[in-house]
Amino acid sequence: MGEAAVFFLHGLAYAGLLFLVSSGLTLVFGMMNVLNFAHASFYMLGAYFAYSILRFTGNFWLALVISPIILLVIGAFVERFLLRKVHVHGHVHELLLTFGLAYIIQEAVKLLWGTTPMAMPVAGILADTVNLFGVVYPVYRLFIFCLSALLGLGMALVLFKTRIGIIVRAAVDDSPMVDALGINVPLVFMGVFAVGAALSGFAGVAAGPLLSVFPGMAGSILVDAFVVIVMGGMGSLGGAVLASFIIGELQSFGVLLFPDFSLALIYMLMALVLVLKPEGLFGEKQ
Amino acid sequence: MRKGLLAGLALLLMLGVASAAWAGGTIKLAVMEPLSGTFKDIGDRYLEGVQYAAEVLNAKGGINGMKVEVIPVDSELKPAIATRKATKLIMKDGVKYFCGGTGSSVGGAMVQLAKTQNALFFTYGMAAASLTGAKCSSNFFRACANTDNQSYALAVWVAQKGFKKVFCLAQDYSFGKEAVAAFTKKLAELNPQAKVVGTALHPIGTKDFAPYVSQIISSGAEVVFTSNWGSDLTLLLKQAKPLGLKAKFACYYLNDDNAITAIANDDAVLGSQAVEEYMLTIPGKANEEFIAGFKKAKGFYPTWLRGKAYLATMFWAEAVKKAGSDKVDAVIKAWEGLTYDGPAGKWTMRACDHQALMPMWTATIVAKNPFFKHAYVGPATMVPSEKVQVPCKDTGCKGFK
Repeated sequence: MGEAAVFFLHGLAYAGLLFLVSSGLTLVFGMMNVLNFAHASFYMLGAYFAYSILRFTGNFWLALVISPIILLVIGAFVERFLLRKVHVHGHVHELLLTFGLAYIIQEAVKLLWGTTPMAMPVAGILADTVNLFGVVYPVYRLFIFCLSALLGLGMALVLFKTRIGIIVRAAVDDSPMVDALGINVPLVFMGVFAVGAALSGFAGVAAGPLLSVFPGMAGSILVDAFVVIVMGGMGSLGGAVLASFIIGELQSFGVLLFPDFSLALIYMLMALVLVLKPEGLFGEKQ
Repeated sequence: MRKGLLAGLALLLMLGVASAAWAGGTIKLAVMEPLSGTFKDIGDRYLEGVQYAAEVLNAKGGINGMKVEVIPVDSELKPAIATRKATKLIMKDGVKYFCGGTGSSVGGAMVQLAKTQNALFFTYGMAAASLTGAKCSSNFFRACANTDNQSYALAVWVAQKGFKKVFCLAQDYSFGKEAVAAFTKKLAELNPQAKVVGTALHPIGTKDFAPYVSQIISSGAEVVFTSNWGSDLTLLLKQAKPLGLKAKFACYYLNDDNAITAIANDDAVLGSQAVEEYMLTIPGKANEEFIAGFKKAKGFYPTWLRGKAYLATMFWAEAVKKAGSDKVDAVIKAWEGLTYDGPAGKWTMRACDHQALMPMWTATIVAKNPFFKHAYVGPATMVPSEKVQVPCKDTGCKGFK
């Protein structure tokens, strides 16, 4: 029982990180129909900014606030001056643009911070352990899960319970009509993209202390994030929650129960989902 | 006017002296390393070691009067690119000597190229046993330890410490599997009472080690053997401590200041064991002098890769010196059976497979050390060469064709 609980917690913490990374990706895809290949690069930038902020101020909480704000600005800039320009040419151009952007960010990071992996040590309560129902567990892993739950909840509230959410969803469904009502639709989309980037920033800050900060971190998380949003249904937040949870737990218990093919397990499940429900768990039929 | 003439004469004289110093010409050594991309930091450190060796050699008048010229080549870690650049150097610049330490795939391709072009390639870092085993070649020399040597040395330490329960954790590909196999084989020989209570192979680039760490904890292991490198080493150690793992690690690659700073938690590494053929803490005057000279010239310590590359290059220089010429065939012949007594002990190049026989050094990570503010390797203990070697008949090298 005790052991199962520990593995469940491991899965939960990793699921939290997966959701932080994939929520922004699925949000942008769901609202704007843009598959942002640079999303994982934003995540990496978030981690690097957090690293620098932590280094100069020694305050992790400050990094957790400022780094996503920087990403928000970068996201807005990318949408306004790059994506919007190629939007008229269609999806392939958007895809290529974000793909190129990912490469540029990758090289820029190496140029600015070097290629050596860097640590982001946290101090105080986050570095502690806590006794949870008889299991001693690192606080930081629980923190990742809580942050992820909080942001997910916040996103759902804004999207489904506020006026801004109504406008965003309306703009997705029928943008000419919303435009005719006097709402600045391009601004709405810019906001959505910027928020998506900021979410990846949160993910980057949260991942830094656990996974170190290094130039390969974008590539290593991108595949996982895509598995989550494909399995959960492209553009579905609820799907991302469920898929993150399944993959996180599967990864953890897979090591315990099927050590020889724990990695294959995830892809087998993804294949199964796609065969039975090609649009993903919560995806909408096209 | 007179003054100008004098100055001109003096200049001519100086030029004459300078060229006279290199009467033997130059001997070019191309360093094939990833000098861009993700593994740039590894390539840079190896290159610094080779460059320092060349500086030391040239300060003493070169090798037999030949100036050593180091040519850095970015292998980009791609065999096709490395061999293309190397071929150009052979054809256009008459380069005959190559070295490299990163990427066994690059190594395999370079070994073949060296054979067909009658050049010489030596490594100070490529550890895959097969390079001096089934793939052995007359034109390739390994002047560093291989996976068998490193695994054996750690097995010696684990056996000496009397650990009874051992867990093996490695990356799920040929290297990790070979390292674990060599370790468990040697441990069973040395201490039959020691039990391997668990083995786990994980994908390269694993992000979350928590499930593996929990597995180790529930196995009750006292020590964990791991051949992990890169983020698979640092993340494992970094994440293990907060999850409550008490067992120490016996590591292939913990003799690395960059890894220890990336873990950024001294408690997570203290008491664990590192193994390597070169460490800063190897006792003896030769090593002290090497470290002092390097520090003075470069401003930092010849840690890990830098030291390895330096030693191998000096070993190669000894072979060229003994050969008395820069002809590849002569150097190959001279290197076989040659002994080099350097900062890390006596090294002998074995003729049967061109694997250098060398003592291995193991050290426990300690908090207080004269080199860094963070934890680093403590005093190094020697594991004699005889204890870590694979006999000629078992290497898989069926003689050079």
